[in-house]
Order: sequence, then C-alpha cells, then structure tokens
Amino acid sequence: MSQRNEIAAADDAVSAEYETVDRRVLVVGAGAAGARAAIELVEQGVPPEDVLVIGKRGHGDAHTTWARGGINGALGTHDPEDDWTVHAADTLNEGHHINDPDAVEAVTERMPRLLRELDDWGMAYSRTEDGGIDQRYFGAQSFRRTAFAGDHTGESLLRTLVAKAQSLDIPYRENVLVSRLVTDGDGPDGRVLGAAGTDLDTGEFVVFDTDVVVLAAGGYTSLYKRHSSRDDENTGDGPALAYQAGAELMDMEFVQFHPTGMVGDRYGEDWDGRLVTEAVRGEGGRLFNSEGERFMEEYSPDQMELDARDVVARAIASEIEAGRGTENGGVYLDISHRDRSFIEERLPRMYERFDELGVDMAEEPVEVAPTAHYGMGGVAVDDAGETRVSGLYAIGETMAGVHGANRLGGNSLAETIAFGEVAGEAIAERLATAPDGRDSDDLHQHARVHLTDLARLAESDGAHDPVALLDEVRELLWDASGIRREADGIEAGLDRLRQVRERASDLAVGDRTSRSYEFAIDLGFALTVAESVLRGARERTESRGAHYRTDHTERDPEWRRNVRYERDSVGGMHLSTTPVDEPSEAVQAALDAGHELDYHQLE
Amino acid sequence: MSTQVTEQETETEEQSSHQRRRLEEKAERAASRDRMRERAENDLDEADTTFTLKVFRYDPEIPEKEEPRFDTFEVPFTKGMTVLDSLMYARDHYDSSLTFRHSCRQAVCGSDALFVNGTQHLGCKTQVVDLGDDGGVPGEIRVEPLPHQEVVKDLVVDMEHFYDQMEAVEPYFDADELPDGMEEQRQTRENREKIKMSSRCIWCGACMSSCNVAAGNNEYLGPAAINKAYKFAMDEREGENRKQERLEIIEQEHGVWRCQTQFSCTEVCPKDIPLTEHIQELKREAVKNNLKFW
Repeated sequence: MSQRNEIAAADDAVSAEYETVDRRVLVVGAGAAGARAAIELVEQGVPPEDVLVIGKRGHGDAHTTWARGGINGALGTHDPEDDWTVHAADTLNEGHHINDPDAVEAVTERMPRLLRELDDWGMAYSRTEDGGIDQRYFGAQSFRRTAFAGDHTGESLLRTLVAKAQSLDIPYRENVLVSRLVTDGDGPDGRVLGAAGTDLDTGEFVVFDTDVVVLAAGGYTSLYKRHSSRDDENTGDGPALAYQAGAELMDMEFVQFHPTGMVGDRYGEDWDGRLVTEAVRGEGGRLFNSEGERFMEEYSPDQMELDARDVVARAIASEIEAGRGTENGGVYLDISHRDRSFIEERLPRMYERFDELGVDMAEEPVEVAPTAHYGMGGVAVDDAGETRVSGLYAIGETMAGVHGANRLGGNSLAETIAFGEVAGEAIAERLATAPDGRDSDDLHQHARVHLTDLARLAESDGAHDPVALLDEVRELLWDASGIRREADGIEAGLDRLRQVRERASDLAVGDRTSRSYEFAIDLGFALTVAESVLRGARERTESRGAHYRTDHTERDPEWRRNVRYERDSVGGMHLSTTPVDEPSEAVQAALDAGHELDYHQLE
Repeated sequence: MSTQVTEQETETEEQSSHQRRRLEEKAERAASRDRMRERAENDLDEADTTFTLKVFRYDPEIPEKEEPRFDTFEVPFTKGMTVLDSLMYARDHYDSSLTFRHSCRQAVCGSDALFVNGTQHLGCKTQVVDLGDDGGVPGEIRVEPLPHQEVVKDLVVDMEHFYDQMEAVEPYFDADELPDGMEEQRQTRENREKIKMSSRCIWCGACMSSCNVAAGNNEYLGPAAINKAYKFAMDEREGENRKQERLEIIEQEHGVWRCQTQFSCTEVCPKDIPLTEHIQELKREAVKNNLKFW
C-alpha cells in the first residue's frame, strides 16, 4: 500500500520524492501505550494490516524500558483492604485534586484486571510465596499496590507487549520521526488526515494517509538540564504535534522532579540525572545528608522517605542548598542495612549498575539529587483519549489529566496500559461505523508544504547548532521552571527563550539521516513546550504539587483549576483556565476515609 | 536591541547588515569546527593516556569507500570510558560519518554488539581498561562489525536473519488455558527463578555471531532463539500442551541437535545467560519427551 509521489514544489531546489503509507490507524510511539493500544485494536477485530505502529527508536527500545520500580493496581495481594477506589483517592491526593477524576477512575478501576491480563501474556512479575503477583510499597500510597518485575518492570512490560503484538502480526516500523500532523486546516474543529515525517535510516520522507492518529509519543522532561531520559526522547514531540494540529494542552506547568537521580560529579557525566528507582526507598532505603542526619525526620516524620516525590525532592534540594550536601552536590541514599541477597533479588539492575561503577550497595550508600522525570501535563483529551481534533488521540505520558499536579510512582506504567486499552476500544468502535474513505488530495497538499520546509531544513547552512540551542532550552527551563520558581526568574526564562527562538530560524543542519537533523526537529518541539511550561508556571500564582513558587508558597483553593493552552488563529499561544470535575461517590467515600501510608510498617 | 534599530533603516542596509552578520556567524561556525579538532588535539596533549582505535570502515554507496578498510583514531582515555564512548569520541571529534548503532547505553537495547579485539562484546558494557593487560589502557583497540552477518555500513550489520530465527520459535507467551474472571495465574518463585536468566536476552545477536555452527548453517535456529524457546517451554504458566509444541519446534532438523556445545555463545553473552546449558536442558527434555512414545 505504498506509493511514491513527487513534491511539486514551486521551488525546484527542494523538490523531493516521498513515500505514502495508507493505514486506517497510525500509532506514533512504540512504547507501552502505543503497543497496548495497537493490541487492543486488533483484539477488537481491526485487521492488523489496517494498523501501523511507528517508533523513532529501534526494535523494542522505547523509553518504557527505563521504567523500573513497578506498575500500580489494587490487587490487594498483601493488603486485602485495598481496592481501586483507594487507589483513585491516593492518586487524587497526590495530584492535589486537579486531576481529571474520570481519567483517574478509568485507570484505577481497570488496573487489577489489566495486571492479571499482563500475567496471562507472560509478564515476568516477581512472585509471592504462594505464586501470586507480588506487590510492594511505593511513595504516598496507602497500601502495597505496586506490582513489579525486580527493578526492571518497564523492560519486562515492554517485552511482554512487543511479544504479544508480534503474535498478533501487528506491523511495526522503526526509526521514523513524525514532525507534523496533517489536518483539514480547521484547527479546533478540524479532523486529522494523516502525518508527515522522515525515515531517519534512509532520509526518505514519509506521508501517512490515515483515519486516526494515536499520539503515544512520550513526555517532555528531557527538555530539562538534569533529566532521567535519553537526550533524544521525551523531547515534547507528542504535545507539540497535537498543539500545532489544533488540540489543547493542559497542566504543562506541572513537571515532576524525581528525588533520586544519580549525581554526575560522582558517577560520570553520562550518568547525571539517571534514575535510582523509588523501589530502593520502597524496600527500605534511607536518605542522609553529609552530616549523617536522616533529614526526612524533619520534613515528613510520618511518611519519611516515602512521602510524595515533590516533598522528598524539595527536602533534598533544601539540604543541598543549606550546605549539607555531599561534595559532589547530592545526598546519600543508603540501603546497606538490608541483606545482600535481598538487594540482589529485589533491586537486581540497580545492584548490578552500581557494582559496575565500583559501588557495593550492600556496603555503602549511593549519591543522589533530584532530576526532571515526568511531565504531568500534556494533551487535553476526553474520556476516550480523543483530543478536540476529530480522529486525533493522545495516550500515555503524552496525555494530561490522570496525574494532576503530581504523579504517584507506578502510575505512569498503569496509565499507559489503561489508556492504551481505552483508546483502542474507542477507535475500534469508531472504525466499525465510519466509512473508509479519505480526502487524500487535501492531505498531500498540506503535507507537501511541510516536506518542502523539511527539505530546506536539511543541509541548511545557517549559523547555529541545533544541539547547542536545545542545551540552552534545557538550561533555561531548569533555571526558570525547576523545583523552585518565582516571577522574575520565569520572566528571565521567557526572555532567554525568545533569544533561542530567534537563533533557531538560522540553523546549521546535516543531511536527513544526521543527528543534527533530528535534533533540529526536536528543537521545534522544544520551543513550543518550553513556552507552555514557562507561561503556565507564571500564570499559576500558587504552590501545588510539583509546582512550587517561592513567591506564592501556599496552595490557593481558587486555583483548583487547570491551565489550558491553545494556538490562536495567528499562531500565538493562548492560555485559559477551566474548573475541575468532582469524583464519583465511591471515590469520594474513599477520600473521606482518609487512608494514608504508614511508613513505620516498613520497619 | 540592535535589530530594532536595523529595522528602521532602509531595506538594502538591513539586508547587508544581515548578510554581514551571517557571514560572521558562518566564519564563527567554521572556527568552531576547527576548535573541535583543536580540542581533540588538546585533549590528546593533556590526557595522561591515549590509545588507538582501529575501526572497520565500509560504505557501499560512496565509490571511494566501497572497498573495506580500517581507519585509526587517537583517543584520549578518560576514567570509566567504554568502547562505545571511544567510538562516539571518534565520531564527534574526527569523522562525523563514522556509523554504528547505539541507543540506551546501559545494556538494555542490545543495539551495539560489536567485534572488539576478535571477540563479540557490547560496546556500552565493555570498559576500555578491561581490554588492556592487567587493568591498564591497551595500546590499540580493534573494532569490527559482528562477523557472519552482512555489513550495511561501517559497524552496522543486517539483523534480518537473526530476527527471522527468533520469530521462528514463536517468541510470545501462550498459555493453554487462562484462569476465569478475577482469578490469577500462579507461578512458583522457583519457576520464576529457573527462567529468570533466560528472560534477560536483549536480542543483540552476539551469540549467533560467535557460533561456528550458525556461521556454517544458515538454517540453524541459533542460541538466542533456542534460549527464547527455553524461556517459554520452561514457564509453568504455559501448560503441558504448549510445551510439547515448543519442544517440537526446537527438535526439528535445524534446532537443538545442531548445537555442538562449544560454549562460545555462553562466553560472549553480555547478559551472562547460560545459553549452552539451556540448549542442553532442552535436548534432555526432548529425549525424555520422545521416550514417552516408545
């Protein structure tokens, strides 16, 4: 179903061939969310040849593999009093009640069944004595609810999903970078027609002619200086593509800083910001400052190291700022009071990694500091995962709503699986009733405009290196919208962003298979996302969850609202706010019951 | 704010000022490229230790590069440097066309299996100092693409055949029957332990490349695929019927019986999977299985 077309550009110098791929559903992103959505489509009866999953990385190497600690679902393996309403209540509490309650309930209610389904598909869960799916404590959760496979849960999860997708013959194509969604041009009231991008292996342009596009393309935290992702992933592709196509973004100002990232000055630059899984604390790991004090006793005597991620991250940042950090700029995380065999079994990858770096976790602490880890914000969607642009869906980290102002550890993998299923169901139903006829002329016309731009971008001989500009965005976001924020700093960040934007119009770029070409496209995504984060942070004059303003340190009840971002008719970014819905009675009852984690059970 | 002033001037002046700025910036960029090279020279001067990276080069699409050859790069050693780090150093400082696969840099994605000093290694997991004599930095490191696979360009090989062999063992979980409703499948800790090592495979292809049998017989399933079959056949959640079917697949002409227990796959596996042991165990299972039908 592939054909070649010629770009009939007015400017012959940039004309180029492109390949057209005709599929009813294009899933952009081959991590857990994308894979799970594709599986659902086919299980609901959509023929596999109507679906294509594309990834910008190689085989089975999506960012999901970096998720370690676990995946939440109220199985109640150890704690029978747990159920999905308590899971929902914990999620809303952690999100400081600006989550979308319907989205939260969709995830938490589905997860027990979906965890068992993964087991049916061969997931390598760690096991209890009697062969059940084991569950452990994770921060700010009332019960042991986090199922896991050692400390390589994401890796095992993605392998399970990839194998399942292979068994269903779901087509997959790697190393394709989508840089534009094509719509009929009606903005918010529009309809998606397809997508355009580049095969990074061959440098060929590709146009996808589709009924439906699912964005499962990850988040945006690698746009921060210290971050837990690879540099070329989580660059904001999903939100930026959706925004450009006319969808709304939401909650972009909420960025989670994971408390325990590795410290580059101690372990080498390559490791800077890489995650030390929360499971280390879930299994009893303790934090100490350079004076040997277990400082969480000051900040959170009841929940200690397992308080919410924002609380622990700010505590660590405060200790370091007060001069009680290590000489490498971190604090100590110590689990050496546990037996070696316990650590090897429950935290095998961490144990192995530090062992290779010459650190024995069974004998000594590791050095950690906060790192940008997860964007709670993303694309605003309805209960089916659809944006306001007809036929455009966003799921996984790309969507907003499940996590609100902060995310529970173990809820991101849960969201990928749950919303993969939700969107898959909805799209299958849509395809069953919708006629299979598309307006391909319109698609090609719009796509050619974009491909002409891309052809000009490649091998352009301008003044600025895209990598250097991306690094500047990373610096300014870290400075202006990091763990602590205030008005003047944010303004300064917006100024710096304007300067980067100016220089970004004059780039030095290699050919279409070069890294600089990919990074030049990422830079485009980054500029949109960075503007939304900064402007949202400026707008929200309170502190809530992961968003902490040193000039507005209290939570303001008036601000129990979501900030939304849209592209106005002349291309500027327009912000507005909307109120939050109320949870169902069942979940309200769980909230009223006031469950919370009691750390001392762990000791 | 100087641009604001320019905007008020006449168009030609604006253009020429733009042009001047562009030229200046271009000159700056050319200088920065030179600086990169200079920096490499400085790095080399300042480094306590350097080593020579000898890299296989081949590009069928460029006439002057279609003849395979070796290029050498002088690389300054830094503490903790891996073979992948040294390749990236060479690419970033000397020759941006040097091509190799890499992604996660933490031995998860399996994309950078290479032939280093005559043995299969994962580039990101191989410390430069581990290649020298007694923990020292070696004088030279030779890096080639995985043997027995077709080279696409420089260090990149075609993995198609490897993936086909993996596919042949139906590498996906498929239980005979599933529990009803909210019931959970059970798996003992012992069983999970038993298949744990087999599930560590990252599809890097090092084992297949090291195997003499696979090199001589294109049909042989190879260690990675058989290990995959082991993982599922031994998983007690799948059930007896499925296990029989799996044993039939690996018992066929180009399956387990081809293995000559040379242990080369086990030696090179970057994830320490006891591949040969797993193949042997499947042979025993297959024998046991056949005995039933006497």
